Amino acid sequence: MTDFLLENFWIIPIYSLIGALITLPWSLGIVRQTGPRPAAYINILMTIVGFIHSSIIFNLIWSRPAQQLVFHWLQVADLDLTLSFELSPVSFGALEVVAGISLLVQIYALGYMEKDWSLARFFALMGFFEAALAGLAISDGLLLSYCLLEALTLSTYLLVGFWYAQPLVVTAARDAFLTKRVGDILLLMGIVALSTYGEGLSFSQLDTWVEVNQLDSTVAAFLGLALIAGPIGKCAQFPLNLWLDEAMEGPNPAGIMRNSIVVSAGAYVLIKLEPVTTLSPVSAYGLIIVGSITAIGTSLMAIAQIDIKRALSHSTSAYMGLVFIAVGLRQVDIAFLLLFSHAIAKALLFMSAGSVILTTNNQNVTEMGGLWSRMPATSLSFLVGAAGLIAFSPLGMFWTYHRWFSGSWDVDWWLLLLVMFVNVFSAINLTRLFRVIFLGPPKVKSRRAPEVPWQMSVPMVSLMMVTLIIAFAPIEWPLWLSPNRPLVLAQPELITQYATPLLIVSGALGCIIGSTIKVRKAWARSSNLTLRFFQDLLAYDFYIDKLYELTVIAAVSNLAKLTSWLDRYIVDGAVNFVSLATIFSSNALKYNTSGQSQFYIATIVIAVGLLLWSMINGHWSLVTNYWSSMM
Amino acid sequence: MLSALILIPCLSAAIIGLLPAKGNSPRNLAIATALSVLAVNLILAFQFDFQHNGFQFVEDIAWIDWIGLNYHLGIDGLSFPLVLLNSFLTLIAISSTNPQIQRPKLYYAMLLLLSGGAAGAFLAQDLLLFFLFYELEIVPLYFLIAIWGGPKRGYAAMKFLLYTALSGILVLASFLGLVWVTEANNFDYLFLRSHHLPLATQLLLLAPLLVGIFIKIPIFPFHTWLPDAHVQASTPISVLLAGVLLKLGTYALLRFAVGLFFDGWLYLAPWLAILAAISALYGASCAIAQKDMKKVVAYSSVSHMGYILLAASATTRLSMSAAIFQMVSHGLISAFLFLLVGMVYKKTGSRDVDFLRGLLNPEKGLPVTGGMMILGVMASSGLPGMVGFISEFLVFRGSFPIFPIPTLLCLVATGLTAVYFLLVINKVFFGRLTEGLAQIPPVKWKEHAPAFVLLLLIIAFGLKPDWVTHWSEVQAIALLPGS
Amino acid sequence: MARISKSSKSLLVEEYITRLEQGSALLDDSPQNLIEVVGILKSYGVVLDAYSVNLNYIADTQFLKLFPFFKYFNGKVNANTIAKFIAHDRLNYEYAEYCMKAMFWHGGGGVDAYLDTPEFATETERLIKAYHRYNPLMLALHKAFPDFMCEQMRQMAYYSALGQFWRVMSDIFINLSDSYEKGKVKSIPDVVQFVLDGLVADAALPITYTVHLRGQEYNIIPKSAGLTFLMDTGVPYIEAIFFRGTPFAGTVSYNAQAYEIPYDLGMFNYGALYADPLPIGGAGIPPTLLMQDMRHFLPDYLRQLYQVKSVRGLGDLRVQICESFQKSMFCVTTAAVKGLAPHPLDTNDPEEKLANRKYLTRWLNRILESQIIKVNNETQDQSALRVK
Repeated sequence: MTDFLLENFWIIPIYSLIGALITLPWSLGIVRQTGPRPAAYINILMTIVGFIHSSIIFNLIWSRPAQQLVFHWLQVADLDLTLSFELSPVSFGALEVVAGISLLVQIYALGYMEKDWSLARFFALMGFFEAALAGLAISDGLLLSYCLLEALTLSTYLLVGFWYAQPLVVTAARDAFLTKRVGDILLLMGIVALSTYGEGLSFSQLDTWVEVNQLDSTVAAFLGLALIAGPIGKCAQFPLNLWLDEAMEGPNPAGIMRNSIVVSAGAYVLIKLEPVTTLSPVSAYGLIIVGSITAIGTSLMAIAQIDIKRALSHSTSAYMGLVFIAVGLRQVDIAFLLLFSHAIAKALLFMSAGSVILTTNNQNVTEMGGLWSRMPATSLSFLVGAAGLIAFSPLGMFWTYHRWFSGSWDVDWWLLLLVMFVNVFSAINLTRLFRVIFLGPPKVKSRRAPEVPWQMSVPMVSLMMVTLIIAFAPIEWPLWLSPNRPLVLAQPELITQYATPLLIVSGALGCIIGSTIKVRKAWARSSNLTLRFFQDLLAYDFYIDKLYELTVIAAVSNLAKLTSWLDRYIVDGAVNFVSLATIFSSNALKYNTSGQSQFYIATIVIAVGLLLWSMINGHWSLVTNYWSSMM
Repeated sequence: MLSALILIPCLSAAIIGLLPAKGNSPRNLAIATALSVLAVNLILAFQFDFQHNGFQFVEDIAWIDWIGLNYHLGIDGLSFPLVLLNSFLTLIAISSTNPQIQRPKLYYAMLLLLSGGAAGAFLAQDLLLFFLFYELEIVPLYFLIAIWGGPKRGYAAMKFLLYTALSGILVLASFLGLVWVTEANNFDYLFLRSHHLPLATQLLLLAPLLVGIFIKIPIFPFHTWLPDAHVQASTPISVLLAGVLLKLGTYALLRFAVGLFFDGWLYLAPWLAILAAISALYGASCAIAQKDMKKVVAYSSVSHMGYILLAASATTRLSMSAAIFQMVSHGLISAFLFLLVGMVYKKTGSRDVDFLRGLLNPEKGLPVTGGMMILGVMASSGLPGMVGFISEFLVFRGSFPIFPIPTLLCLVATGLTAVYFLLVINKVFFGRLTEGLAQIPPVKWKEHAPAFVLLLLIIAFGLKPDWVTHWSEVQAIALLPGS
Repeated sequence: MARISKSSKSLLVEEYITRLEQGSALLDDSPQNLIEVVGILKSYGVVLDAYSVNLNYIADTQFLKLFPFFKYFNGKVNANTIAKFIAHDRLNYEYAEYCMKAMFWHGGGGVDAYLDTPEFATETERLIKAYHRYNPLMLALHKAFPDFMCEQMRQMAYYSALGQFWRVMSDIFINLSDSYEKGKVKSIPDVVQFVLDGLVADAALPITYTVHLRGQEYNIIPKSAGLTFLMDTGVPYIEAIFFRGTPFAGTVSYNAQAYEIPYDLGMFNYGALYADPLPIGGAGIPPTLLMQDMRHFLPDYLRQLYQVKSVRGLGDLRVQICESFQKSMFCVTTAAVKGLAPHPLDTNDPEEKLANRKYLTRWLNRILESQIIKVNNETQDQSALRVK
């Protein structure tokens, strides 16, 4: 039995895909008399099956070496496209996280979406989403990973577009798709190039190819940059970061997935690709620069947000920025730990945010307050989730940072400063949010706030437990991803001695600032103009969207208008003229079909007819002979 | 066997045209014909040896000696998928035709004649015979647009006729020149192919041929007849036009331009690759600014046909296979999109992107059409899991080693595909349903059947692309001399 | 909704005040409107009956339960009901809870005020202590988060209050349908009068909430609180559900920076009278649940009307139900407005008339922002068509 499960491990993503397909009778509106909930139950069941299957395997593979399963998908000419899967503790660890969070989120959605009649469509999309994520976790090839990243792009589009009739959703879904697509297309360019230069597209093949390749350094740089573009889009890194903000228009359960494991999926591919992306120093620096800009920029943006989901989603970009930096420094184990710690804690924060939104019918944090003693599961979830992210409390992120700066890795002061920066601002942001949401006197929208039903609170409490437990993961992590275990530096430098205390101090500092700063009152603005300027600058994401509008979007739409105009008046006219003026009078192209044009038709028909007649005439015997010989 | 593919529809067209019409009999007969052609095709498929390099099921009869015309048919890995596509899309087109159409006898007769003509062109192994079928198919299409088209059908049909007639003349001129230069006494394809001509002669003959083919495909700047024709043509005709007739152009490109004038082709290839990229980008760019859904799909066709030219100009083993695959893939996807746009038009009476809103509304809108439309545009913009991705990937992968920059530009065009289609989708299907559309009739499941079948194929070939590639792989490579 | 300028709006208010004074309803009277209103109120009555039974069941037996798995089963848990539940072959009690939560959240009225009194706090505290007597964990939680279970009980009080309110309404609507079938109700004003009579008859019905635990009785809302049907549940219900409502995720953005949702709950206009029926059936539109429930209980005459009214026949049934439902809610609103007026509307005393006018203007300013104008315009269009 276990062997059977082990051999067919690639089937795990397919479970949820089947679940998604089974929902069709409900989501297509074939079943109309009864409600859509069976679709939800089936999907949850499928996720449970997948979770059990992967858990069994996860327990089995500790003692085994990593193993690849290769399907030959398509062989054409000299190209052999394979889809490969990996059976290893890392891939199944990732799969467990995906299946686990997905399961919790689906149960959560049962409560959060209970009033939504399109439940079946929602769960179908979640099933598809989960299938793509699960596939990514165990994928061992760039081609398969690309396909699945695209599937994620599609399902993000559909999930953000779930409430399709809401005006802001219409643009948000479109922008989410197109922004991610920019990254994806660049990634596809990279894959096409890599597939041309390299030996194969599986990650292990790429690893060996990197050692022996003799690529021109410019080409290598472009290749690396193209390959990181995909993850830049997926992980909402500058300059492709705004979609995540807009995507918050979608339903919250999908938001939980998006901010925890979907962004991580992009980074996961990046980690797997690390040998290639850091092949050229240009792309390695590119990763570090993009990561740093994003980490700093989005940390600042987050503290000015008044929307509960957006305040959290910008912080997601910031943490992904740290992951990018870690990958750029080739410290992939740290990158993986950052991802892991962040994903769990952020999922928890988003669950808590969702239950606040549902109870208060509101996302504006300045209109909240006083929820603490009435919503224990929600407020504790927020507290634990925040503690998991801030390096002050001894939970996941603290131990991850500690591991990073403990002397095993080659770190520098700038890095420590950056991490401290993110930590301070994360602490400010989360403390600020906790204060305005849960403490203080209740406001009119948070006056009546009963705790959410069990479908939502059980996932929250479970994930809270997980967050507390997995604090051990960074401590015990066996550094699977690094081919050579980093050595403990013989002489601990100054930085390794001071890093941990400094991080704790930074976290504490952030918490203190966050709990003392003046928070904005609802619908009221400070009268200080400078303050307002900075508030707006950060709240509206440095006006990056305006920048896009003025540059890329304007360029494309003007070019489109120009070509369309050219096409109608110049190209069409010129070709009509050049090609036809010599043969026919240009009158033939006027709108009327009378007179001349019918004459032309008649000419052509008669000419063809005559031709055929002349051929067939006298040759009937031939045709009949042929057919009689066939009979 | 092969003659049956041509004769069955032509004879049936004659029968439909001559017999007195009773109720639905023309339609039923047309469907029966299309089904039997498809059946013959499927029988062929089982007997077809795809490892065999060269023509199979050859029929060769001397016809008119004094001009060297032979009735010479054959099928190989290049023509097979297209013939199959033709017979399949003919069935789709007929079944998606409004059963209450005006003048049904003429309509179905013309449709079948069109299909028979296209099949003949794909099968002809005699250059002159090819030309005859190539011309023969123009006439019914002209009538199909001119009689059953939109308000400006006269203009569009005439434009189509003049452009494609010109295309035919140029192709014929090239063929005649070739025969004259080689001093051959017939138009046999294989015979002419075995002749090796000096480069200058090849270029001289290739130039008119290419212009003729570019008009047909169409490639920028000869494409302007296509959007007009599509917009005015009725839905089934658009399906055939995009799915089959444009493929005559790309088929001729591979069969004759590459097959007969390889040196000249290689000489021009760098420029053709650039032209391909321009065409792809230009089509995409024009599509962004369109307000008519059908025009968007039409310009998207221009854009996607650019990829085939790119692959053909790269002339690698992979790119030739990819070119054939892309023809099939574009045939299926564009047919699918035209069906859906046609459905929206049929129900709402509009294709205006600025008017239509919120059609996803499950009670009063067209949700299933909308859902399929989303899948269709995803397929068109190369989303994995559907046939568009793998065919485009093979095109790019096959062309990149030879022409990296044009390939990357075409990849940008792929990105733009998502842009123009999402603009349409998000306007037409998202948002609140327009007040004026609150009383549109529903779509019956039966009406969706043709689109469903296409969607299934698009997904099936996307997951198992070797079902398509293995037909043409050997032959695609054989198109390149010396391999 | 047509934009109305200020002056034309005050004219419109005048017009509607005159209508009401003359005994007409907000909704235009027409034979089709009558069929729609009575028919839909009949099925609404059936649905409300079930909702009310369930709300009361939850309030009486499921209070303080952390995992009320079977709260929609009304105590009948067997293989059959479980199978039906899994197949979602049941009424959508979620909608009843949605209304209850909206009412609870918006507050207003005596129930809301009573929940903040020390009497309520003491009695609830007693109940919580008793309920978790053998569960130190929950008692510890209660110590740490003293408002948690208290807030749950406040919600339970609203379960009960809404259950009692709907009990009365359900009976009124079903009786209305019976009268209609007997030929006693012949016009829209008749419908309004019938509902008004029903409301007035039960206006002083006390609203109470008592739970039983291990033989003990806990008066969460005692009779002595003096809460009554019309003023303490009816009026807040109309305010919360008909007028204010909560924004639908399917049509309104919750994005704080988009500022689409007002800060002041009094400015909310997402209620039943304002809602746009067209998106019904789509994603993020909670009333779809109610329309879905009503589709099972439509009287035949109404079903036949729907069959011919739309090109799609019953294909867009839920939108049609919603349109009728909105019409019927205008009638209920008319009845409530009439019932709450300081003086009878047909009074001739000028002073009383003035007071009435002041009162009506306040209501109509809000009501005329709703879909009523559009609905009436459509009615007039239809009659015009029939005349032609």
